[in-house]
Amino acid sequence: MLQHIIPASGLLFTLQNILWINIGVFIGAVFAAIPGLTVILCVILFLPVTYSMSAIPGMMFLLGIYCAGGYGGSVSAILINTPGTPHAAATMLDGHPLSKAGRTKAALKIALYASTFGGIFSALALLFLGPQVAKLAAQLGTPECFMVCVFGLTIIAGVSGKSMVRGIIAACLGLLISCIGSDPMTSYDRFTFGVNRLYLGLDLAVCLIGLFALVEIVSRAEQKPGELHMDTKKMHDNGAITKEEYKRMARPTIMGSLIGVLVGIIPGTGASEASWFSYSQAKSMSKHPEEFGHGSVEGVAAAESANNAVTGATLIPLLTLGIPGDGTVAIMLSALMINGLNPGLSLFTTQGDIMYAIMLGLILVNIFMLLQGKILTPIFAKVVSIPQEILTPIIVIFCFAGAYSVNKNYFDVCVALVFCVLAWILRKLDMPPVPILLGLVLGKMTETNFRRALLISNGSPKIFVSSVYCWIFIGLIVLAVGTILRGKIKDRKAKAAPPKEE
Amino acid sequence: MKKSIRRLCLVLALVMVMSFATATSAFAADTWTVTCPWAPDGVASLVSQKAASLSTEYSKDITLVAEAIKGDAATVNTWVLDNEANDPSLVFVGEGLLSITATMDPAKLQFGYEDFVFVENLYSSVFVLSADAKLEIENIEDLQAYVADAEEITVATNGATGSEAFLAAALFGSMGAGDALKLVPYQSAAEAAQAVSRGETDFAVSHQSQILETYNQGGVTVVCAFDEGAIENGPFAGIEGVGQYGYPYFRNRCFIMARAGTDEATVAALKALYDDILADEEVVEWLHDTMLLEVDTMTVEDVEAHVENVTNIVNEYIDIVQPA
Amino acid sequence: MKGKMDKLGEKLKGKEIRIPVDLTVGVVFFLFAVVVMLLMPSQVAVSERDVVNGRAFPELLMWLMMACCAGLVIKEIVKIVRKQPLEYKTINLLVELKALIIIAILIITYVLCRVTDLFVVGAVFCALAFLIYFRCKKPLYYVITVGLAVGIWAAFRFLLNVRF
Repeated sequence: MLQHIIPASGLLFTLQNILWINIGVFIGAVFAAIPGLTVILCVILFLPVTYSMSAIPGMMFLLGIYCAGGYGGSVSAILINTPGTPHAAATMLDGHPLSKAGRTKAALKIALYASTFGGIFSALALLFLGPQVAKLAAQLGTPECFMVCVFGLTIIAGVSGKSMVRGIIAACLGLLISCIGSDPMTSYDRFTFGVNRLYLGLDLAVCLIGLFALVEIVSRAEQKPGELHMDTKKMHDNGAITKEEYKRMARPTIMGSLIGVLVGIIPGTGASEASWFSYSQAKSMSKHPEEFGHGSVEGVAAAESANNAVTGATLIPLLTLGIPGDGTVAIMLSALMINGLNPGLSLFTTQGDIMYAIMLGLILVNIFMLLQGKILTPIFAKVVSIPQEILTPIIVIFCFAGAYSVNKNYFDVCVALVFCVLAWILRKLDMPPVPILLGLVLGKMTETNFRRALLISNGSPKIFVSSVYCWIFIGLIVLAVGTILRGKIKDRKAKAAPPKEE
Repeated sequence: MKKSIRRLCLVLALVMVMSFATATSAFAADTWTVTCPWAPDGVASLVSQKAASLSTEYSKDITLVAEAIKGDAATVNTWVLDNEANDPSLVFVGEGLLSITATMDPAKLQFGYEDFVFVENLYSSVFVLSADAKLEIENIEDLQAYVADAEEITVATNGATGSEAFLAAALFGSMGAGDALKLVPYQSAAEAAQAVSRGETDFAVSHQSQILETYNQGGVTVVCAFDEGAIENGPFAGIEGVGQYGYPYFRNRCFIMARAGTDEATVAALKALYDDILADEEVVEWLHDTMLLEVDTMTVEDVEAHVENVTNIVNEYIDIVQPA
Repeated sequence: MKGKMDKLGEKLKGKEIRIPVDLTVGVVFFLFAVVVMLLMPSQVAVSERDVVNGRAFPELLMWLMMACCAGLVIKEIVKIVRKQPLEYKTINLLVELKALIIIAILIITYVLCRVTDLFVVGAVFCALAFLIYFRCKKPLYYVITVGLAVGIWAAFRFLLNVRF
């Protein structure tokens, strides 16, 4: 490795690369901060720019978008209660309450610092442990992936709000919606009702626009005229984070980064899963779980560190095995291939300098993300002071443009509208929307791995206990369920006990 | 407040100026949009982008702009509805749409071969069958011996009813092992390659480039190529073709189509442009070395023969891939 | 017009509907699950050779949904029998009317975009409709919002090459 570091640094530290990193970081942060515009959409739209570039600046530009997009998604989640990207939904749960409490800048800074830590952590994991971790990840087969999904579904309990039963019903709805489209195991259509476009299934980003962004617009109906303009002068938001808060952020940030790396190396999973796993874990380990959902700094740090720690981790299977860790990275692969680089371990021998330059570049991207984030934070924070009359239609236009751009079809805009109406009805019934999102994120993966595992084993469920990794995940699932039950028993006892006299 | 409004106006003005400048430059040439109905990171999209980036070098009159709109038949349906003869728009179709979907699920298609006019074939790809290295199957003879004794044969494929699934069904079906064959669909070719290397399935069918890294790491052996003869170039040179043993096969191809009724002269000019690009040394080298694909320019007759061959294979082995 | 709207607003302001949340959720989603189960044979084709067919997972989900719903309904019935208070959700008719107007703006925006095949038409309508909805009287806001609507369309159309 060391023999490659110096020549790689020479290839990386050029004015052109630094410039492209910064352009990528800026575009990624701003694009993902706009509701309706996701990181993957941004990478698709800007991919053609890289075709005239050589491999390193091309990858640096795309990595800039990818990493900064991880942070950018949290901006709108914090400011306007609308996640810019699916993986920022967990950040929204605590980021927006913090902002509403007049601590917008602080919330943005916590998200930025946690994102940077997670990003650098995963970049170092990629640099030092890449091939080893990739070999381990390659051992995780269909039954293990199913176990990961089941573990993911235990999170529903933590995001169900007042009623877990309503949360489970909402999750079932999300999981059912994920079944719409062509059956991945047989190609037969399911629940398409003869609508041709539906056999492709529903795009997560489009559903998210309806579930969170457009419904937030409809909720303007609940605002009284006096609430249209936020009195920012009264807020005194200096963005300060106390020592105590830094201390509380430390553990969830480190754990979140670790979870992000572990989730990121498993192909098929991504930042959304990681942020929810981390959020759920932080809540169960926190000394103040009651603060979660009401502006917990731990919640923001856990979600943000995890979703940015995925960025480096998804590159591990890509660069070492040629397997893209998630959809965005799959598109970035083309920037390498168009330059004649076919990723894999053999490329470390033939083009080691370029590979190490890319890996070192990821650290650099995160450093520039921090620097640009510090400059952009006060500007982003000003969004809350834009009058609702202007902001509301602009958000709608961005949402429509984003939904259209996913497949360049108005059908997706229609789907977003349907989800908006559904979300509004569910809101009236006090049904939490987050379990629906979780169902959408995990649905296809859960079902496909479940059915494929049983197909391989000819229907024998023994396949789910066939490896050490399966048992490790079973242990984690038992632990998660145990924690949920303990929490419920504690709550019940607390309700039953007479109030203490002071 | 006034300050922020002024700033907003400034941003707006900047956006408008940039948009106008780009718009002016974009409409300067005769621009043809090439729609790829598959994933933007897929083989077809990549080659299309490469061709588009070279179009201005080879033509003063035609500029190709590549775009990828994932959606398969749905995207092509929309394209057919939105475009008329002589519209400056091209689309990709392959045997997947013209032979497989057209046979298995014709209701999904709102178009037929007659709605297009053939321009050129972008590339040709030879699929390969790889086996779990532990099975020690190196060639077709080893495979025949293995199949003769096997009670169950599992093959990892990308998708449930794609070209890979039909090639596996055709090979093992013609070996008389159709009943023993179990197709295990994965979400991507990379996943399928990993599945065979960790022993989850016995075999996998994939493009050569998709199995290369797993092969390099020793997880799989490459048994045979789905082609008439042996592979001639690249890392898999010398691997036998199933055609040598009389088994059915087809290559994966990507046809560039214009809307039916487009002027012959225009189609000829487009074909000439693509032929020039595909003859470029750099493109040929890139297709061979990185993508493990071949330049394979075709005529209308070749296309029709290809579609017919694949349709015949689909009809013969449909019961193995999708039993009633 | 404004006066009429205000009058209607005043009328609806105090009108509220209270719904027992858990009971409603239980009944609505139980019926939903039953409908999905009934639709399953016509919407999901299966093969006899499938080890686990395409209906298994959605059926499992619907059974779980029905079980949860039944649990909710039984819990609420027990509460009613024991004369314990139920959890209610208050729905204000004025809020719902406003929400309907916003949803109508969104739908008209979509229809305009689709029918004209020009996103900018819908975008400009959306900008104006929301300004009117918020009863904005500042001409500058109209200029800025409509300008931004056109700018966003132009940026997507010409910079990002999204043709709409």
